Amino acid sequence: MSLVSLHDVGFTYAYADRPALREVTLEIEPGLLYGVVGANGSGKSTLCSVLRGVIPHFHPGELTGAASIHGTDLLDWDPGELSRSVGYVFQNPFTQISGIKETVFEEIALGLENLRTDPAEIVERVLEVIDRVGIRHLMTKNPNELSGGQRQLVAFAAIVAMDADFVVIDEPTSQLDPETSEKVFSIIAGLKERGTSIVLVEHKIDLMAEYADRLIVMSRGRVLEEGPTREVLVSPSLDEAEVLRPEVTDLALALERRGDPLPRVPITRAEARELLAPRLEEAPDAHRTH
Amino acid sequence: MTTTPTTPAAPAGLTPEEQAFVARLRAPITSGNWLRDLNPINTFVLVACLAVVAFALPGFVPSLAVCLAYVVLAALAGVGRRFASTFAKLFLVVGGILFALRAVFLDAGERLLVLGPFTVSTGGLLQALEFSLLVMALCGALTLFFTMTPMKNLMLALEARGVRPTVTYVILASFQAITDLGKSSTTVMNAQRSRGIETEGSLLTRLRSFGPILAPVFLTAMNQTEERALSLDARAFSYSKKHTQLSTLRAVPAGEVALVALAVALATAAVIGRFVL
Repeated sequence: MSLVSLHDVGFTYAYADRPALREVTLEIEPGLLYGVVGANGSGKSTLCSVLRGVIPHFHPGELTGAASIHGTDLLDWDPGELSRSVGYVFQNPFTQISGIKETVFEEIALGLENLRTDPAEIVERVLEVIDRVGIRHLMTKNPNELSGGQRQLVAFAAIVAMDADFVVIDEPTSQLDPETSEKVFSIIAGLKERGTSIVLVEHKIDLMAEYADRLIVMSRGRVLEEGPTREVLVSPSLDEAEVLRPEVTDLALALERRGDPLPRVPITRAEARELLAPRLEEAPDAHRTH
Repeated sequence: MTTTPTTPAAPAGLTPEEQAFVARLRAPITSGNWLRDLNPINTFVLVACLAVVAFALPGFVPSLAVCLAYVVLAALAGVGRRFASTFAKLFLVVGGILFALRAVFLDAGERLLVLGPFTVSTGGLLQALEFSLLVMALCGALTLFFTMTPMKNLMLALEARGVRPTVTYVILASFQAITDLGKSSTTVMNAQRSRGIETEGSLLTRLRSFGPILAPVFLTAMNQTEERALSLDARAFSYSKKHTQLSTLRAVPAGEVALVALAVALATAAVIGRFVL
């Protein structure tokens, strides 16, 4: 059974002129990392809100089509139960801190308290997650006094601690420095390794190419394409959606057009290095002649 | 047969400081001071009883005595300096204004000074003293309560008495919002300054610069409220069953109950003595 099933789903926010989502049909399968790419305003965040059930439970508007999570119609879900099943990490690190806890430890414990977890178990779980996310040094700090990057890591830890089997992550690194972005992606990779199903919205296409199993390409509220990352990254739908490809993929496509293709089109730098290695060995100084 | 309570083993790999922190979380909350360790609801009842005594007994002496009692209690609770500083400011600003207004407008007893519409008289001074000290006794009760009681403890006590977490969240978040708005206004103020808007100088200049700050600060706050609500929902805040608590308040000892009962009895006696008998 699919984790999430959307059939011909559309959504128009209250007082909006145009729908933010149109005719979206998707099946999200368990255990995979789905990357969502598209230009600003293409409907990525609205799709996340539907996948998490924030629409229609929180944002008012007109929802059309059929949407179900774990086989239950979205409208039949109790919002509290839904938060137990589907984790959600947002873009803005400054609004993800509850503002009512005095230490990072207690901040991470908040979700577990809400889920009626036994206090002794909360302590164990929080300690385990703090180490997994690598924020032991922040454990006793006041979450309201952390930097944006540190807050985002705490927000991740809080959602990881709740142990949902499906997590929706909306542009988690858009306000972070490269080092913290790497940390965030290593947390996401860790979640994936543990079998968590993930839907991730992210502009950093190189990281998507490295981590995503499948890509969803969005433009003007529609899903233009959904498929394995490698196939989607070389398809014309990315051009239509105005999404840049990884540089190495662009380079390989350019070589193909020149009649000098690589054995296959790489999507990550490591793969490109591997494919280009024989050519570099044959002509180690070739790049100096141009 | 008696059983000895067992302490959970300290998690491996933690520094001594981290172990102490975790141990504190596992134990009921304590500050190490018996007055501050009173249950917040009992603390509130105690200071409210003192305020009631000041209100019920005639003259300015009871109010003055209660104000002094607050200072002594604050010192015993280990928050004397913090309380004295806040209370002194209140005394000077609120108490001073109330005293001055009453003193110059109430004309009773012997006139000491007449300046146009203002008359300072012995009766007016006495009533002004009585009224301002009574108000200070009431204000002092609240000041002492909030100086002695961490908000977190108060919310735990309220939730233990059945107050919904939503209500306690709103109270706690409101206090945090004041700090956040302060930080946000500093950021906007710096941004305005970098664009050349005068934000320092005379009172008029400062007031004029305040207008352009208000809109961005409040619009940001309103935007953030929606996102904060969503992130709370992501933490299962709307989960319908009763939440557990990582931190707990200690059990209320019998002596504390007796102290509160005595305070309530004294306050009731003062009210009955003044208004019934």
